[in-house]
Amino acid sequence: MSPRIALFSHYRRHPLQLAALAAMILLASALWTGIHHLTSQARTSLEQSERAVAERQQSVREDGNPVSVQDFVNLRRQGLCVMPWLEVPVPGRGRLVGIDPLAAHCFAEPGHTPAPWQGELDGKPFVDISEAAAQASAEASALVLLVSQADGQSPPPAGYRYQAFAVAPDTAELGDSFLLNLDALGVLVLLITSLLLRSVFLLGLAQRRESLALLYRYGVNRSQLSRLLLVENLLLALVCILPGVWLGRALSLVLADGFGQALEGLFDRLLYAGGGEDWWLPTLTMVAVIVAACLAGVRDSSGSLLTRVQPAFFAVLLALGLAVSLWAPTLIWLFLAVALVFLAAGWLAPLAIAGVVRWLARNTGDPLIRWRLQEVAVLVRRLALPLVALQFALALVLAVHALVTTFEDTFDQWLGQRLEADYYIEVPQGADITAAVSWLAAKPELVSPELWHQVIRGRASVQTASGREPVPVDVFALGPVSHLVQNWRLLAQTETPWQALARGEGLMVNEQLARRQQLAVGDRLIVRLGARRLQAPVLAVYPDYGRPSGEVLVPASLLPEDFEARFRSLSISAGIEEIKVVEAQLARLWHTPQLTVRDNQAIRTLATDVFDQTFLLTRAMTTLTLILAAAALLLMVWVFLSTRAWYFRLLIVWGMPQRQAATQLTRVSLALIFAVLVCALPLGVWLTWILVQRINPLAFGWSLPMAVYPGFWIELAVLALIIGLSIALLMRLQLRRPASAPESAHGLQGGER
Amino acid sequence: MNRFVIVLLALLLTACDRAEEPSGFAGLAGVAESEHEIQFLQPGPGDRLSFPADFGPHPQHRIEWWYLTANLETENGRPLGLQWTQFRQALTPRSVESEPPKPTLWPLEAAWMAHAAVSYSGQHRFAEKLARGDVGHAGATAQPFSVWLDHWHLRPASGHVGWRLSVATEHWSYDLLLQPQGDPVAHGDDGFSAKSASGEGSMYFSLVDLKIEGTVTLEGDTLRVAGTGWFDREWSSQFLKAGQQGWDWFALHLDSGDKLMLFQLRETQQAFRSGTWIPATGEPVALGPEQIGLTSVGQPAGYPRRWQITLPAFDVNLEVSAPAGDYRNSGLYPYWESPVSVTGSHSGVGYMELTGYRAQ
Repeated sequence: MSPRIALFSHYRRHPLQLAALAAMILLASALWTGIHHLTSQARTSLEQSERAVAERQQSVREDGNPVSVQDFVNLRRQGLCVMPWLEVPVPGRGRLVGIDPLAAHCFAEPGHTPAPWQGELDGKPFVDISEAAAQASAEASALVLLVSQADGQSPPPAGYRYQAFAVAPDTAELGDSFLLNLDALGVLVLLITSLLLRSVFLLGLAQRRESLALLYRYGVNRSQLSRLLLVENLLLALVCILPGVWLGRALSLVLADGFGQALEGLFDRLLYAGGGEDWWLPTLTMVAVIVAACLAGVRDSSGSLLTRVQPAFFAVLLALGLAVSLWAPTLIWLFLAVALVFLAAGWLAPLAIAGVVRWLARNTGDPLIRWRLQEVAVLVRRLALPLVALQFALALVLAVHALVTTFEDTFDQWLGQRLEADYYIEVPQGADITAAVSWLAAKPELVSPELWHQVIRGRASVQTASGREPVPVDVFALGPVSHLVQNWRLLAQTETPWQALARGEGLMVNEQLARRQQLAVGDRLIVRLGARRLQAPVLAVYPDYGRPSGEVLVPASLLPEDFEARFRSLSISAGIEEIKVVEAQLARLWHTPQLTVRDNQAIRTLATDVFDQTFLLTRAMTTLTLILAAAALLLMVWVFLSTRAWYFRLLIVWGMPQRQAATQLTRVSLALIFAVLVCALPLGVWLTWILVQRINPLAFGWSLPMAVYPGFWIELAVLALIIGLSIALLMRLQLRRPASAPESAHGLQGGER
Repeated sequence: MNRFVIVLLALLLTACDRAEEPSGFAGLAGVAESEHEIQFLQPGPGDRLSFPADFGPHPQHRIEWWYLTANLETENGRPLGLQWTQFRQALTPRSVESEPPKPTLWPLEAAWMAHAAVSYSGQHRFAEKLARGDVGHAGATAQPFSVWLDHWHLRPASGHVGWRLSVATEHWSYDLLLQPQGDPVAHGDDGFSAKSASGEGSMYFSLVDLKIEGTVTLEGDTLRVAGTGWFDREWSSQFLKAGQQGWDWFALHLDSGDKLMLFQLRETQQAFRSGTWIPATGEPVALGPEQIGLTSVGQPAGYPRRWQITLPAFDVNLEVSAPAGDYRNSGLYPYWESPVSVTGSHSGVGYMELTGYRAQ
């Protein structure tokens, strides 16, 4: 018999072990594929969301009259690619946006992701324009003629001009940041997958140790054995990866589709329609991971995974990782720190659990408690890798939950900050804003003085009093400083910053500027606003998610006459009737028949709707990780326990009733899982901190607020309870089966005592 | 984007389909039933043509098209093929007398689609446009005869007898003067062209000899062209019989002065053939299925590029072949539209349209 056949014959004698190994590879492949697929979906979803709210060009009449169907026909007959966009307020439903998909045909750009309004017209909020027109009333609906990107770059036809049109503010770096975090999470999931595979490999070796030793004694050398094992694993991988990849895709589709349908999201069908390709990446990745898991060495197969390592070494490694994460000046250093901390945490957690339970065992007088604790220690040692994978998965789920919740909150705040008023009215070019401001100030009965302000945007340069080089910044001027902005969350502030700002006693800076220039509240800044040189203290630092540039917030009263405003608008919170009066009066004042008035509430609803899908997909991704990590653990437990059942049966042999023995096993498994959960919590919180507080400032210059959600920890604890009870159930099943002690009662065969 | 439009058009095209019956290429086997008070009209034997009204739209029919193909030559004698087509697809039937809906309602009673293509030096350029009807940027009128979609239009030529056709895309354009020679030729039974043995069909006439001259601009390079064109008008409410997969259509200008139009509609086991022989002198002759031999030559799969055509009654035995190149119109409904050359008992040029094949 050749060594190859002798080696493989092990599985002929133990087909269950082969099935377990194959199932693990299949599950690991499914996990990574599912995650990869969901990440791609989330990425596509985010790109589509951004395209939905991205700024476009619209064609407007030069004479200021609103555009009509006839203008649409005129422009199309001149060869311009324009499409109608008819917004209709619908009581109780927000608004409908009617579009003409036939006219939008010329907007299609090869190779680009379609915009959401290019998907299904299901009323959320897009409908066919005939449906919107049927519900439109002349005074409330607004027709916009969007111009394709290509045509928007050519001069407009006579009688028309182009101006910007956006359904919501540009998300800028907010989206990029989310994608970076998704990528970081993808790498962590790959790490978890590798751990699962490595545990499969080691388990397989452990189970066959005697066969291997026998072959070694018969003259098959170690490297030949390693080669044969590698070939065997690769063959097994090839057979199992493809169904795993298929299963992962199916799972991710079910998961994402379920979420999508629950939300009846805007993109669900569009998202899942074209996902047939991209099989090769998960497949190749899995093959690479399996090769790496096998090549990592056979020597560890001796089973003493933990006994030979020095806890002190990993404690130092952990401390080093934590220190680097605090200090890291670049993303690379930060990712290195994450790797160090995960490596150390992965090694230390089983050691720590084993150490603690052994200590507890030594200090208890109750023999049953001591037996349980010792048994936990044995399980931790023998199932170290899948337990660490579960620990990582729990930490990941915790971090992703916090991240996504934070992003959602941030996104709400970000929208709130930019859409603080109910309406904003764009000031036409050349119009005199002071007349409008005076008129509004004289009409407190129409619009409360606290509920409107003018916004002026432009550019300036800023220099610190310590004499650094001046840097260009955006200027955001407000006048008057209304209550609309005063509920902003400030990162640092003086005692009454808004009042001081209104009195012109200082300015505020955004987080980006504060970080780059290392500014703190009270620092004095020299700002060049046109010809004026203003020296003022920093009153507060405000968060400004997603904006790449630094910005100063000043009262409009400080702007000199020659300040070159790039954009002027009025933000107003008022009722529908009042806003109509304001609109009519401003149109008269500015001698223009039509004003651009944006309903911010509607914009907010749309923007929130379109981004919800992305957040749901990300949650689905981590849920899948946890489910599969738990499934993998249960599988490993089953295989391991099959060799240890004889030892559990000793409890009954020694006189313990079966029910009581089963209760003891339940306690063992619950203690084990909760120990893992306890180890996962700090890792998860730390990972959350890394994601929101470290990666973002390094990559983009602004941070997200750090928050922990203990309510979710309880949810995780319930999940851990379910996993623990499942292990207990497996133990009970093993207990019922007849089992004899292994011929050689060594640790790897479950014979450790 | 395309996906939605395809869904919309498929909806339009098959709005009245019976679910259990396949609706053929581009839904043209859809049955002309309507939930509306006014029903779609289905042409039948005995229906007659009426000029000039039939150059204009037929709002009570579900589908119709204006179709021009042209075999032109540049000044240095190089062949250039050219196509312009405009389709109207109704979702709701409307009698000719009815007032159209107001444009401000952005009605969706009909959709328009225009295709334009230029085949030159082995390269095939194709463009497609879509529009909804009754808004104003797409439509057709009989008097004056005008068909337009956005800035593509066929309209009376000012200062000339005939029509002017202008098409412009981002990279190429053409501007042509079309002068019909002779009267319209009615196909089939005085204009009713059967499309199956069971009676499905369309009203169909052609201007088989158009004198064409003008300019074609390709990537900034303007070519003066002249040659011969073939203009088809066809309308129906159920064009194909359920189960018919597609068609092979030929319009040939033979050097003898004779013209030939023939087509076959393919079914799983057989094909329904029809055509019209238009002699240089004398009356056109409708060709029955038994009078036409039509087989593809030497190509087991994909769009057949070479065909053998025989009309034993007229001593016609032709080999028709497309020049080298890919002449697929890759729009919402891909199909083949290429110029062809004719050899055999007669020589000549023409156009070939193939639908319902899988591309290779």
